[in-house]
Amino acid sequence: MRPLSPVLASLANVFRIPISQTLARPAIGHLNAQPGPVTAAAQPAAARTFSSTNALFKRKGGLKTDRRITLIRYFLHHPLTPRPLRFSRTRYLRHWTIHRAWQLFQNQQRRTQTLELERQWHAMNDACEELRTGAGDGGRLFRKSMNKRGVFRDMFPIEYGRLQTETPAQEGWNHGWVRPERR
Amino acid sequence: MAHCERASKPLLQCLQKASTRGLPALQLSSTRAFQTSARVQEEAQSEAQKQPFNKSPDPALVSSPRLERRLIRQGISPVGSRRRRAALQGSANIPFAQLPYQCFQEARKVLLQDREEKLEEITRLREKIARLEARPTEEAGGEQVKKSRLGGMQKHLEHLKVLADINDPQVKKKFEDGQGDMSKPIYRYLADQKWREYRRKILVQRITQMKVVPDVLPHCDPIVDTKLYFNRSAVQPGDFVQANASTTAPKLDIQLFEGGEKLVTIAVVDPDVPNLETDSFDFRTHYLAVNVPISAISTKVDLAQLSADSQVVLPWEAPVTQKGSPYHRLSLFILEQKDSQPLDFAAVKAKESVRDNQLLRTLQGRYHLKAIGAHLFRSQWDETTLEVMEKIGFPLADVELRRKKIDPLPYKRRNPSTFR
Repeated sequence: MRPLSPVLASLANVFRIPISQTLARPAIGHLNAQPGPVTAAAQPAAARTFSSTNALFKRKGGLKTDRRITLIRYFLHHPLTPRPLRFSRTRYLRHWTIHRAWQLFQNQQRRTQTLELERQWHAMNDACEELRTGAGDGGRLFRKSMNKRGVFRDMFPIEYGRLQTETPAQEGWNHGWVRPERR
Repeated sequence: MAHCERASKPLLQCLQKASTRGLPALQLSSTRAFQTSARVQEEAQSEAQKQPFNKSPDPALVSSPRLERRLIRQGISPVGSRRRRAALQGSANIPFAQLPYQCFQEARKVLLQDREEKLEEITRLREKIARLEARPTEEAGGEQVKKSRLGGMQKHLEHLKVLADINDPQVKKKFEDGQGDMSKPIYRYLADQKWREYRRKILVQRITQMKVVPDVLPHCDPIVDTKLYFNRSAVQPGDFVQANASTTAPKLDIQLFEGGEKLVTIAVVDPDVPNLETDSFDFRTHYLAVNVPISAISTKVDLAQLSADSQVVLPWEAPVTQKGSPYHRLSLFILEQKDSQPLDFAAVKAKESVRDNQLLRTLQGRYHLKAIGAHLFRSQWDETTLEVMEKIGFPLADVELRRKKIDPLPYKRRNPSTFR
């Protein structure tokens, strides 16, 4: 009998269709090594004599393999699972070089951003200090400007009406939006 | 023809045809492309490569079994696998840094620029250190302030030196091949990282689980990698060593991960000598040597080869375990001498002449030592112990220790009336 293609064989295996005696890959029942009635009958008698499991252990039900482990094994050895990514020495070194450069670049970017923020904060701090001491009104203007009363109470900034994103929305502002009726 | 040859590039066929016909020009041009060495060297070598390939096969490129056998008969072993050699015959063999991949080249540019910045920073920091050193102490804010500032700057300088080279793929490759030059800070740093990843953890686990650390010394933070060899075979920390193997002094491989030279004291202490009178265990010093120089480049220390009149205080004594006694832990400590100053050998030799019950803690306090490395092996009674005992004249060779049998308590009836 011509052996099935691995994909077909695995599908047959999944749907438990008995297409061929010699499956291209081990069935789930073989994988978790549970002595089920079907597999035990299908096995030739010679295989049983070479079993290293002792009889009492087997009669008691044998080793129960965890279902999760069975599934992991099944998908790991599935023919549709891609092979692990392997690099040659030079290719790995090139990969590593690019990775390091990218990390370095990101680090530099973060650093410049932090420094810029710090600079802005200090500039604002200095301006406030100037307003407090240099305006000549005893700090009245400064106190007024620091007053948070009424912020977000009477009016709410429309920018905060939706979640802040890096780029504008695709359809802009939806002016026709009404609050959905609650029943 | 071998497998891999059949699969390799057509250039190989061209090459072999050329070699059979004896066309030296083509032969020469194709082999030159495989070499990464400098132009001048190639010119010098070209004289030797005038003859055809099958007359003088290149060990880096030969792939036919017949030529390989001929090379091996000449005493030259071919480089790498046959598959690799066959693949190399057809490759353009461009140097790694010039490989034509856009992303890779862009990444190299970023890394090189960063390296330039780091080098600039290093020169600036060096100038700063020189300026601070030139300033008088009063102006710099006192002795303590100046010292701490200088120390901090030196530390930062070492860090920068590592950072300048850590992103270099060639450095990584060299280190992985084990060709790193330990006199350079980057390779020392990488070796230290590698050691701390696994080997140091194992060592620390063994010396703490087997209680060497509170028994022999109160504390030990290993900073040097120590390997121990008996008769050229390495001993893992905590291994059992046969008595006849440990009759000769071991060889050590002490890898220091800092620059400069250090003078160390090496001591081997056995904290498990059974004492029958007090029903407890005694210490015994099996080896003691002072003023042993170690550095990052010179790592090998042969305990048997150290000079007897300036270093070895107590020569090696073979460890033996009496039959029936629990295993002996032979702990080896590497102790740094203060400021790397040599100890006065004659004074030490006069004072430390007793092996029994010489505590390492006492020595540590007396000579201002600091434990920077440790190793451990164990010995137990085995079939060669008796022989070794007779050879070294161990006094209690014919004694077998037994556990003291404890008399059982007198019989007491279970379930007496008070239980009910």
